[in-house]
Amino acid sequence: MMIQVFAAYFVTIFFAIIFKTSKNQLLISGFVGAVGWWGYLMVIHYDYSIVTGSFIGAFLVSLLANLFSKIRKSPVTIFQIPGIIPLVPGMGMYKTLYAVIEEDYNLVAKQLFETLQIAGSIAVAMMLIFSLSTLIEQHISKKA
Amino acid sequence: MDSKKLMNFSLTVGEVMLKNGAETYRVEDTINRILKTSNYKGIESFVTPTGIFATLEDEDRDHMTFIRRVNNRDINLYRIELANAISRDYCNRSITLNDAYDSILKAAHVPTYSKGFIVISVGLAAGLFAIVLGGSVYDAFVTFVAGLVLGLFQVTMQHLGVSKFFIDIIGSFMTSWVALFFIHALDFGTSLDLIIISSIMPLVPGVAITNAVRDTIHGDLVSGASRILDAFIIAASIAAGVGIALSIFNSIYGGILL
Repeated sequence: MMIQVFAAYFVTIFFAIIFKTSKNQLLISGFVGAVGWWGYLMVIHYDYSIVTGSFIGAFLVSLLANLFSKIRKSPVTIFQIPGIIPLVPGMGMYKTLYAVIEEDYNLVAKQLFETLQIAGSIAVAMMLIFSLSTLIEQHISKKA
Repeated sequence: MDSKKLMNFSLTVGEVMLKNGAETYRVEDTINRILKTSNYKGIESFVTPTGIFATLEDEDRDHMTFIRRVNNRDINLYRIELANAISRDYCNRSITLNDAYDSILKAAHVPTYSKGFIVISVGLAAGLFAIVLGGSVYDAFVTFVAGLVLGLFQVTMQHLGVSKFFIDIIGSFMTSWVALFFIHALDFGTSLDLIIISSIMPLVPGVAITNAVRDTIHGDLVSGASRILDAFIIAASIAAGVGIALSIFNSIYGGILL
């Protein structure tokens, strides 16, 4: 499992390069992605569903991305976009497609629904963190 | 203060951010912050993924409304970061409007990584992704090769200005074909689906999905909906490319792929 997390670190860095993140943010982007993937694998390891795993992964990625954007004074997207990539349900999309080619439409419905669930759980995790960070920001600016 | 220049500056900052993959609400926020440094009372901005509208109004002066059409969206997070820093510096009054305007024009064309480096990154990103999904070293190698092919194709086509739709279809077709070639002709690599999934990852609409969600939460429904459409079209074209490759293979060699 550690090898997978380690690979996720570098995958996120290379994706960050493809998205042309500046050099001094690369290592942090990688860290965000690796922690997200670690969270995903841990949840799967304890026999929870992929949907739950994606939720926890996306939650961690968004949390760290928000944290680092405050610390480094740069947009959240710089860390969030590369970090979320390992969690994107590419597997589900492929399996759906494969079922379409095989003309097994029961399987298509099952796979498609699962893929949408994963995408939805990632979206909900991002929404939660986004709303929380807005709340905290408002709280801080009221105090100041 | 020269409000026309200010308006131009704010729209250029917005354009740079929008062109390079920033979320709609962030662009609006940035434009509003810049425009607030003027002495106009009414400030409005409206941003969609394809255009920017901003207006300045006051009781005893003429309204001023500017429109900027945005084509050719790409992803360049470095330029977003630069535009963000420039607008922050300007709003803190640590640089003048003229300096800020010059630097945003420079930031719009700031070079990042070389093309060769991007191609290698696409290869490595895909190859390592096979490991992330739990594949073997052989799978990773095949995926790396497929990724290099994809990266080379992507960079060349982007240079020629071919539409993203075309790049996605042909790119995913090519990577699937490389994977099929390695597995069936050379008998190298173990899991076909893992290799194909990993090698199309660089095409997957991660940015479009992320921004679609962020825009929708923020209530920018027009932008959210259009970005979801964007993500859906990208996903559909990737699926079409892979699907065509698999079907052609199926009809030549007949059945059994996995």
